[in-house]
Order: sequence, then C-alpha cells, then structure tokens
Amino acid sequence: MTGDAAVRVAGLRMSFGATEVLHGIDFDVRYGEVFCLLGPNGAGKTTTLEILEGFRAQTDGHVSVLGMNPAAQPARLRERAGMVLQECGFPRQSRVAELIDLWRSYYPNPRPLGDLLEVVELTEVRNTQVRKLSGGQRRRLDFALALAGDPDLVFLDEPTTGFDPEARRRCWAAIENLRRLGKTVLLTTHYLDEAEQLADRIAILRAGRIELAGTTHEVAARAGLATRISFTTPSALRRGQVPLPDGIDLSVRGPESVCHTGNAAMTLRMLLDWARQHSLGDLAGLAVTAPRLEDTYLQLTRDPA
Amino acid sequence: MTRTIRLAARQALLEQRSFWRSAEYALFTFAFPLMILLLIGAANAGSHLAGTDIKRTTVFVPGILAFGVIVAAYVNLGSKVAVLRHDGVLKRIRTTPLPSGAYIGGLLVSTIATVIFITAATGMIGWLAFGAAPRPGELPALAAGLVLGTVCFATLGLAISSVITSAESAGPVAYASFLPIAIISGVFDPTFSGLPDWLSRLVDMFPVKALAEVLQNAYAVRPFPAWDLANLGLWTAAGAVFAVWRFRWHAT
Repeated sequence: MTGDAAVRVAGLRMSFGATEVLHGIDFDVRYGEVFCLLGPNGAGKTTTLEILEGFRAQTDGHVSVLGMNPAAQPARLRERAGMVLQECGFPRQSRVAELIDLWRSYYPNPRPLGDLLEVVELTEVRNTQVRKLSGGQRRRLDFALALAGDPDLVFLDEPTTGFDPEARRRCWAAIENLRRLGKTVLLTTHYLDEAEQLADRIAILRAGRIELAGTTHEVAARAGLATRISFTTPSALRRGQVPLPDGIDLSVRGPESVCHTGNAAMTLRMLLDWARQHSLGDLAGLAVTAPRLEDTYLQLTRDPA
Repeated sequence: MTRTIRLAARQALLEQRSFWRSAEYALFTFAFPLMILLLIGAANAGSHLAGTDIKRTTVFVPGILAFGVIVAAYVNLGSKVAVLRHDGVLKRIRTTPLPSGAYIGGLLVSTIATVIFITAATGMIGWLAFGAAPRPGELPALAAGLVLGTVCFATLGLAISSVITSAESAGPVAYASFLPIAIISGVFDPTFSGLPDWLSRLVDMFPVKALAEVLQNAYAVRPFPAWDLANLGLWTAAGAVFAVWRFRWHAT
C-alpha cells in the first residue's frame, strides 16, 4: 500500500552508461497538492519525471505512482495520470475541440468536452485549427489533452518555458484550476517565481540530488538563510554620535542600516533596546524581511556542485 | 479487441478528415497520378504495342493504378509518419492509454481508404477516357494485386519513415526514393526500353515494376506474374522487419 502519497520516490538512482545523473533522491507528493521539482537545466528533473511516467526504468531505488510501478504498468498508469511533456506537437490539420474529443475517446471515464475547454480557457477557439494557435494556447491545449481522461495526477514538465508574461499568467491560471479540481500536480520548472506562485511544496533538485524540500518558507528557513532587518539610519548614528549596538552585526549603508540574523525576535528586541538607550525612538523605516526562496535558490545554484 | 478496432476506426476517420482538409496535400496526391494518366494516356490512345493487338492504354492504365497505390501507401504514409514522429505527435500518443496497435491500425485504415479512392478514380477515368478495363473475370485478381501492393508499399512506407530525419525532407525523400525507379520501370511508358541490360535487371529487383506487372496481368493477357508476386512478398517481409526493428515513437 502507498498510504497517502500519490507519488513516492525513495533512493532513486539513474545512470546512462557510466554516468549517474540521479544520485539517490527521495520525495513524496501528497494527494491533492501541487508539488514542484525546481532546479536548473540539467539537474535531472525531466529524467525523474520520465521514470515516474513509465518512459524509463530506473537503475536503482523505488518509485510508486498512484500505487503502481510505472515501468511495469504503463498502460494502467496512463488511464489515471495525465502527462504534459516538453515540446510535443499536435496533428497538423486537427481542430481544437475535435482533437480533445479524440483524446477523450482514449479513456474509460473522460471529462466532458465543454468542461475541459473551460478549464484551459480555450472555449472561444474550439473550432480553430491547432496550427493557428499561439504558443500559450497550444500549451493550454496540452493541458486539456492531459486532462481528457479526468486523471487523478497530472505531470507537467516545464509548462511555461519560453513564454511571455501574459501567456505564463494564463498558464498559471490553468494550473490553479487543476488544483481547484482536486488534481495532484507534479510540475518541474527552472523558474523560481513559478514554484513560489504555484507550489504547495517544492524540492530543489541540483546535479541529481535533492538539496532541500518542503514548503517555500521551510525551504528558505532550512537553507539557514538569515532574516533581514533594516531601518533608516538615524542621523546621530550616521554622524558617529551613537555607538553601534553590541552583539548585532549591523552595517550602516548610507541612508539605510541593515543586519542579518537567524533569530529575528531577539535581534529586534536588542535593536529596540539599543535605540531606546540612545534616544533613537522606534527606528524609522524599520522593516523585517523573512528569507525568500529566491535567496535560497540563488545561493544553492551558484555554489559549485 | 473490439475497443482496439473501434479506436482504430475513429483514428482513421480523423486522419481522413485531416487529409481532405489539407487541400494542397489531397490535391497533389490525386492530381499527380491523374494528370499523368490523362496526358500520357492521350498520347498513347489508339496505338498498339508493337507486334500485338494490345492497346497501349490497356497496359498503361494499370501502370498508373500501381503508381497511385505507391503514392498513397508509400509516399503519403511514409512522409506522414515521419512528420508525426518529428512533430512529437507519436510521443504524445505514448502518454495516453491508447494501444499502439489501435493507433498504427488507424493510420493504415486511413491509408487503405486513400488507396481505394485513388484506385477508383484512376480506374474509372482509364475506362471512360481510354476504354481500358480489366479482363472479364479478372476483377478478383486485380483486387488481390491491389491488396498485396498496398500491404507491401505501406510496410515500405513505415520503413522509410524511420530513415527520414526531418519534416521538411519527408515528402521529397519519399518521392525521390521511388520516382526514378518508376520511370525506368516503364510505369509511364509501356514501351520504355533501350536500358543497359544490367540496369533493367536491377530495376526488375524493385517492387515497382512487379506491382505494375501484376496489375497489368488483370488487364491484358501476360505470362502469370509468379516472379512479381514473389518479389512483392519478399519486399513486404523485408520492409516489415526493417519497420519493426527501426520504429521509434520519438524523434532522435
């Protein structure tokens, strides 16, 4: 039994010839959540997805998708898991609704056509030939085809790569619709804002290893990144009439003073005590910024592997 | 099984609709053989093969029937599958629970439909315009020849699709790989001769002339085409082995 995980990956290893590209990765995707595998190009995201989709057999480790072994039961898995691959074309002369309808015929319990068109916002182009669609519309048609069999789980491999902001926004809206339908979504991306915007939980994959996993806040916190506290530099401090606070690594950068801390509450208390002692009031412009996923990601991906 | 057949039929229907929707594609498939039929047929009308009372058109029309079968089964199917593979449509099919047999079956059924249309058009025009008709009682033989030719060239079409590496070259490669053979096989000119001996023997190895002769046998009395039937059978077997061996769902 698989318990409450839609996808379970444990100790997954994959080698191509003598080169190992996945070095034993573990993660779970819970039912009903949007899970994001985030990482730079070449991290092993697509390879991981291909194993979960049953296109490749892993070298070692255990994977279970909706309680099935994907490599052993690809046909059964495909009845319940929709897949959006990178760069997959459509039959050249087909029309939108006609193609979705054909796809619906492949599945035992398809979703209604009108419903599918609505979820991906393609109702108004339902009779348009596929080759006349824009890039964003094509991607949403990808979603509609992946949803045709009313799957429990949807795989999305880099769904918005190369899109302009408007196309990305509509694509994100379609993914939000998937969430609303209660679908479990496993998506890969190398866009941080995409992960931050869409994912309930993320795993950062880099060079075939999972560096961090959890909610966006957890990931940022686990990376050991500091909270940033800043305030407008009081003129007395700028003129050197006030000593710097003890025990705080405060740097005065012209009009702004900044410190980073792993314990925001304590540092804040110390700062305010210091300000009161030196009659600096409540420190104008005081701002406390929680560590952002972006900082974590940039730090991780800049380090040599 | 019934599900596979139903899905294949549905797939075939969509393929046919797409085929006719792409006007230039359908027109080219039909216009090319029919234009040759009318132009060269008109030039040959009324004359007889040297030393016989067989009208030239009686041999020429079944040659064009063979040409139509090859265009529909080999050129169209081969380039179609190459384009589907190049565009990633085959890869997308693999993400669905559709049995691969139903998909390939659908493509083949659609190909057979195209063969039937083009054969009917060529046969009717050949009969009405040039009075060329199968010998009495030879319709079953003609049908059998058409079936064998379709199977053989569809198999070879699937095989060549694996050799074609881009969507742009699909049509040209498919045409270029048989048109010269068709010309020196005498498909367009029943009296075509004067080839060096080695070349005419080489051309005899290919299935183009074999199919033409099998169909010609249904129109005019000729020696029983045993060698031609064996030839088509061998090419079908070789094509099937190659097609299965090299078939890929994704572009490399």
